[in-house]
Amino acid sequence: MGKTFKKLLSLCLILSMAVSLAACGSKSNNSGQGTDGGTTTAPTDGGSTGAIDTSKHEVIKFVVLGNKPTNGRLEAMMTELNKKLTEKVNAELELYYVEWADWQTQYNLLLASGDSTIDLIGTATDWLDAWPNSKKGAFLELTDDMLKTYAPQTYASVSEDHWNMCKYDGKIYLIPEDNYKQWTNHGFMYRGDWAKQFGLTNGVNSFADLGKYFQGIKDNYPDVIPWDAAASGQAFGSQLAGGYFQSNTQTLFLDGLEVPVFFGASKDDPFTLVSPYMEGQEYIDFAKMMKQWGDAGYWREDVLNYTGDTREEFYAGQTGADQHHTQTYYTTVRPQMDTKQPGSDVQFFSFSEPSKNLVNLIITHGALAVGANSKHPERALMVYDLLRNDEEIYRLFNYGIEGTDYVVTDDGKLGRPEGYDDSTDALGTNYWYGRNDNLELDNETWYSGKADIFANYDSYAIDSPYSQLVFETDDIASYMANMSDVFASYVTAIAFGKAGDPEKAVADFRKAMKDAGYDEVYKVLQDQLTAYKEYLGK
Amino acid sequence: MKRNQKAEAASVSTVGKTSFIKNLWKYRVLCFMCLPAILFFLVFSYIPMPGAYIAFTNFNYAKGIFGSEFVGFDNFKFLFTSGKITMLTRNTLLYNLAFILIGNTLQIFVAILLNEIKNKHFKKVTQTFMFLPYFISAVLVGLLVYNLLNYDFGFINSIIRQFGGDPIKVYANKTVWPFIIVLVHLWQQTGYGSIVYFAAIMGIDAETVEAARVDGANAFQKIKYIILPGLKPTIIILLLFSMGSILKGNFGLFYNIIGPSNSMLFPTTDIIETYVFRTMMNNFNFTQASAVGLYQSVFGFALVLFCNWIVKKIDSDYSLF
Repeated sequence: MGKTFKKLLSLCLILSMAVSLAACGSKSNNSGQGTDGGTTTAPTDGGSTGAIDTSKHEVIKFVVLGNKPTNGRLEAMMTELNKKLTEKVNAELELYYVEWADWQTQYNLLLASGDSTIDLIGTATDWLDAWPNSKKGAFLELTDDMLKTYAPQTYASVSEDHWNMCKYDGKIYLIPEDNYKQWTNHGFMYRGDWAKQFGLTNGVNSFADLGKYFQGIKDNYPDVIPWDAAASGQAFGSQLAGGYFQSNTQTLFLDGLEVPVFFGASKDDPFTLVSPYMEGQEYIDFAKMMKQWGDAGYWREDVLNYTGDTREEFYAGQTGADQHHTQTYYTTVRPQMDTKQPGSDVQFFSFSEPSKNLVNLIITHGALAVGANSKHPERALMVYDLLRNDEEIYRLFNYGIEGTDYVVTDDGKLGRPEGYDDSTDALGTNYWYGRNDNLELDNETWYSGKADIFANYDSYAIDSPYSQLVFETDDIASYMANMSDVFASYVTAIAFGKAGDPEKAVADFRKAMKDAGYDEVYKVLQDQLTAYKEYLGK
Repeated sequence: MKRNQKAEAASVSTVGKTSFIKNLWKYRVLCFMCLPAILFFLVFSYIPMPGAYIAFTNFNYAKGIFGSEFVGFDNFKFLFTSGKITMLTRNTLLYNLAFILIGNTLQIFVAILLNEIKNKHFKKVTQTFMFLPYFISAVLVGLLVYNLLNYDFGFINSIIRQFGGDPIKVYANKTVWPFIIVLVHLWQQTGYGSIVYFAAIMGIDAETVEAARVDGANAFQKIKYIILPGLKPTIIILLLFSMGSILKGNFGLFYNIIGPSNSMLFPTTDIIETYVFRTMMNNFNFTQASAVGLYQSVFGFALVLFCNWIVKKIDSDYSLF
């Protein structure tokens, strides 16, 4: 009896192991399935919501970027939100976070898996590869009928022009965040009190001023690293060079290419392809300046391997500058510094200031897409329509529960309850894919100088001439890959003065780029740019 | 009992087709026990094999692997037109050779030393300590190395400054990195790797050792004439195994120690994996990445066959197949 029992037991064990292994394998095996057209039939009578069948309860999974908060506020809000969503469209929302650690690979990998449980995806054309992903089939085509029927308010609020900017190959893949005013113009945040002390009475207004400011820190505050940049794994190299070009030339940066070396000549001649990296004196000047800065010790010697958090050091008074964009300045850094380093009077030197070379943010800087294999895209659109346009749900999702997460002040602004600290209590839904100025509350905690900055930018910024441009790079993919490595190898090192003799470094970089196929790529892209110009009828 | 003997006799005498089925039945319990392993390799190694086809396509998420357009060797182009393939292959090969040769020698040495330790408790403690580095993640190792070596606040340079010396710029000197990386690798792997050899030593017949001792062999003679020959099969098998992945680098270690932006160090520290990762980060073209994976595997496969052939020439008993 004992023997048979043992045999049986071992058989069971083996079987269970085999089954669990097989189960593991099959999970990854269901890619490449198309959608089955949806079970709900689209009504043909022009989208009265009464005709949509919502009898079945659905869970909508929404991929967002950011670190999932663990302070309990998100969960409390989601419970409330899902009650409301169930009431209105018989669905609930589930957020899936792609965390900031490794997001660049994680995000694309998630889309590449063809996961059929993904319904809504936050994306962007200029920083989240929306076009390459559309091309590779990661997103579902959104037909006019679908949008009209299931997201009627959104459909009505987005103009035809704006829909056109969301088309690839004549098909809509994205819903733009086109009713939200924001500036992501990059630049340096620096301490106004220190700048005054160093004799920069008008503040920092150019790269030369910035150098003086850094030198001032070096002379007066020996324990402070002027700019404790973390160049390892970050895009600082190209941002710094790009910022220098923006400050000193009229070239317009072309977003969305694998290698960010291409620019339009100027706002008067946007369809001629140029590259300050590859020609002219500016890049050499930049390289010389950065070499001098690096040798003077404005950042640490091993900057290329450093991975610290500059902003936290800035808050702690250990470094004198932080490089990021306008929005970060007025929403986060300035308010935080006012409490953490009172009197620091943090100012913002925007790269566009000296040259007045600024392009309005593209409306797909935030955008929403529907997963190609989503099982219920219709309900997903209905949920999104509410997130974007329903005041109650909008505030719940963006600000949280009134009273505990936020309060509306007497003058109708967004305030925070007593004892609220944004760095620990933030809701963190990271909703950048359909914010709506009609429903936004002015934030009381934001820096009050925001209006002046906006007015200043508005006085000289132009609309992007490239908003409907999507480059086809399949045929030049191997050149692009090679150029991408050359770019990565040289640009960050040059930007921090670590590439030896600056003139020689730039010459080497240019030669390596040419060897990697720059000329061929230039030709292909210029042809597409010319075709685009003709398409626009200019 | 009798029947079993008969069957055994039959299987030995007739090595024909029928005996395979018979053997299968005879060793059914063993076969059942193998089943999980067989399934594992089927599911995770054999079924995904057609996926290598991705390397030859222009992959489209919606169309799937076999629905995507076939583009031939286009995806391999970038690797061979970059002009870096020789440098990358050389670096990868040399690093791995260093890891394999120095690593295995050290592991055998450590295993023998462990075997000579008589105090049981001391032996266990030593083993545990040597094991520990293996479980430290590469991210932490990278951080440790940075905090030891960096110019401004690094441990070593702080000490040098204390004594009035000139701090050294380690992160700007590409010639020292091969030594540092090999050293770190050895520190991480030796304790763990020595376990297999240690186990093999334990498997050597104690009577032989005893007999040698009675015959007057000293410790060195014991090692030279008994332990090392006894380890030979293990050494050869492990060497052959490591040959298969000689073009695969220890990505985590290299990436975390060198980082993605310190191009001053690339000439001596860039291996195929880090190069591909840097290149693919920007455009997420994983068809090209699969092409590289295939190149590494095919190269490794050829190398295993070649080494096995050589081993067979020298002593066919020790070859893998």
